[in-house]
Amino acid sequence: MITMSRHPRRLLLGLTLGLMVATPLASQAGAHGQDPALGGEPFDINEVLVYRWRAGSEPPLAIKTAIHEAARDVRASLASRAATFTYASDGDSVIGYGTGTCGVNGIACFTRSAPDSFTMWLREQGRVYDWGTLKWCQTYAEPPDGCYDAETIALDEFGHVEGLGHHVNYADDRDYTDAVVQTLSRTKPKVGWNMHEFGVCDTATLQVLYDTPGASSPYSTCLELVTVLALSVNDASVPYGTTVSVTAGLRIKTEADYGEMSNNPVSKRTVRLQRRPPGTTTWVTFATMTPTTPTGSYVTSVKLQSSTEFRAVFSTPTTEGLRGDVSPTIKVTVGPCTGSCPTSSEQ
Amino acid sequence: MVESRWFRRAGPGLAAIGALAIVASTTLGAPEPRWEPSPCAGPPRTGDVPRGAWYQLDPVIEGGVRTGQRLEVGAAGLGPARTLTLGSESFAAGPFGGTVLVGTDDGRQSRVSLVDVGAGCAWSLGTTRYVVRRATLAPDGATVFEFRVDRGSRADLGVWRRSLDGRTPAVRVLAPIEAHAGFGPTWLTDFAWSGDGTSLAVQSCGETACRFRVLSLAGEPLRTVADPRVGDIVGLSGHRLVAHGSCRGLPCPLLVIDLEDGSSMILHAVAGQAALARDADGQPVVVHEIGADGTRLRRVDLDGRDLGPLAADPAGRRLVAGPARSGGTAEHAPDALLFGTDGRLSTGGTAAPFLRRLLDGTPVPIGEVP
Repeated sequence: MITMSRHPRRLLLGLTLGLMVATPLASQAGAHGQDPALGGEPFDINEVLVYRWRAGSEPPLAIKTAIHEAARDVRASLASRAATFTYASDGDSVIGYGTGTCGVNGIACFTRSAPDSFTMWLREQGRVYDWGTLKWCQTYAEPPDGCYDAETIALDEFGHVEGLGHHVNYADDRDYTDAVVQTLSRTKPKVGWNMHEFGVCDTATLQVLYDTPGASSPYSTCLELVTVLALSVNDASVPYGTTVSVTAGLRIKTEADYGEMSNNPVSKRTVRLQRRPPGTTTWVTFATMTPTTPTGSYVTSVKLQSSTEFRAVFSTPTTEGLRGDVSPTIKVTVGPCTGSCPTSSEQ
Repeated sequence: MVESRWFRRAGPGLAAIGALAIVASTTLGAPEPRWEPSPCAGPPRTGDVPRGAWYQLDPVIEGGVRTGQRLEVGAAGLGPARTLTLGSESFAAGPFGGTVLVGTDDGRQSRVSLVDVGAGCAWSLGTTRYVVRRATLAPDGATVFEFRVDRGSRADLGVWRRSLDGRTPAVRVLAPIEAHAGFGPTWLTDFAWSGDGTSLAVQSCGETACRFRVLSLAGEPLRTVADPRVGDIVGLSGHRLVAHGSCRGLPCPLLVIDLEDGSSMILHAVAGQAALARDADGQPVVVHEIGADGTRLRRVDLDGRDLGPLAADPAGRRLVAGPARSGGTAEHAPDALLFGTDGRLSTGGTAAPFLRRLLDGTPVPIGEVP
């Protein structure tokens, strides 16, 4: 997996901010894509953020438990090398319960000061709003309809702390569960009221900001990353009957918008090798290439008795957010048979 | 509209906020003795000059559940803060010439009172069977604006105007805001006056985004802002509204929106707490934190011109934003800024809140009107 220096990470966020400034209140971005990224620095790759309770504003036990569970949800579903959260009584980041400085933000709020710390507040049970009174589901043995799930809300806040902005849903909200980081939280029993893992459009942006865990890790289906498939051969002009080694290299396209994933090698995918005689038009798949080193490489050895054109194919997968690619064609010229030669039909 | 002196000094954005309730009891915060504001004599009134009054409203939480709110009030030369315990649905607004508007609800009726901080007395301004969620006092010192909801359904009932002395009945001046899926249910409605006191911004906030209706007391048409990317108001200056984006946290873009043509501009993309002040020449200046940790401050005018940094408080006290964020505010000159522990005025902080002049950063103890 590509290791990027701190400097390019700053550049990425700088670009993001530039876009925000350039289009302050332009029309809404198209619905359903990766969550927008918030301004400001991301945390460090694989950073561990340690939180404690705010003195004098500690949550009650039920809410503390929900926040701990949300921290576990982050670790279990981040699908990236984003920061993780863990509790210690001397943590640098504080989580409070009550008013804080959330402003008008109804249910919870956060601050993020990457790479050092964050804060989070959850409003208190019984707070009265224009619409009615806040109820946390965790405070009831039998949570009533209309309550908010504190674990879901805390997970939403952790997502913000990571740098995720609110997901933009389709007009009919049919993609609501693609993201837990939402503008409008849902109450029991509406679909999505108790999401306990990041959605695919949350992890998409986490991957942009923090990269995938490894070259073989799947890319979020909320992404549609362009891949680049290269192809080479160890010798492009060989004697008759020589075995050549054809090597493909699969990478994510170099693209600023791809953030940490730009130019990533992509390994352990299905890359097929196709061949055809020069001067013909029909490709024939004859091998699934074998993953090899370096990361993102695939190889197939083939014994050649005639000149052959090759290309590699990476088909668009249905299980992750990569767009397929076809490599440029390479030609291997094979010399004439000088010994015991097969008939043309045997070639 | 006649602009009274206290209002000019109070500056923009000081006229609002809190949460609804009922004056369940009046006590002095421990260890102070119990405080029972006596009824004020004569008709309700505010002071003609600012008296350095301040307030801070915080929830009272017992066993993880809000049981009420604690309102601390104080004023220059008054001595220790006075504390009232309010019901869960309550609010405070002001200060207005040494007074604080307090709203309480007992589950049957809402009462709005005007507390004279210095005199230690209060006027009841009246009761209603509707729930008064917020109120503010107009610059004339004689008109109250209230936002009400229905007691049973919590439906928006709009903004109502009535006289401070109660001699004229309440009249609705703004209809309920229309439901909009992009904003969701309204969580908090709030008021903010323009710096010159001629316009009242009514802010209706969903879970994260806010809509604005700006009511002109001079009879100009109602102006509205309804963009899901706009969050809470920082201040209103003439026809320009300064607000955060709808971020649910900080840092967050800081915007200025022109109410006349709808254009907008980002003053800073990663701003923290912010306040709208006025410089010595009376020109509006936004002071905001850069980032969320409060260690760097910047001044910018409403055209986006960078006016340079402002030193942060070495003791770590943060810029106190409007009451919606900080839960309180103080009367002070428009060219001064409030700083407090965690961006709040609470006297329980590790360092006392204080005022600083915008021009030279001169610190002034809170309660002393510059």
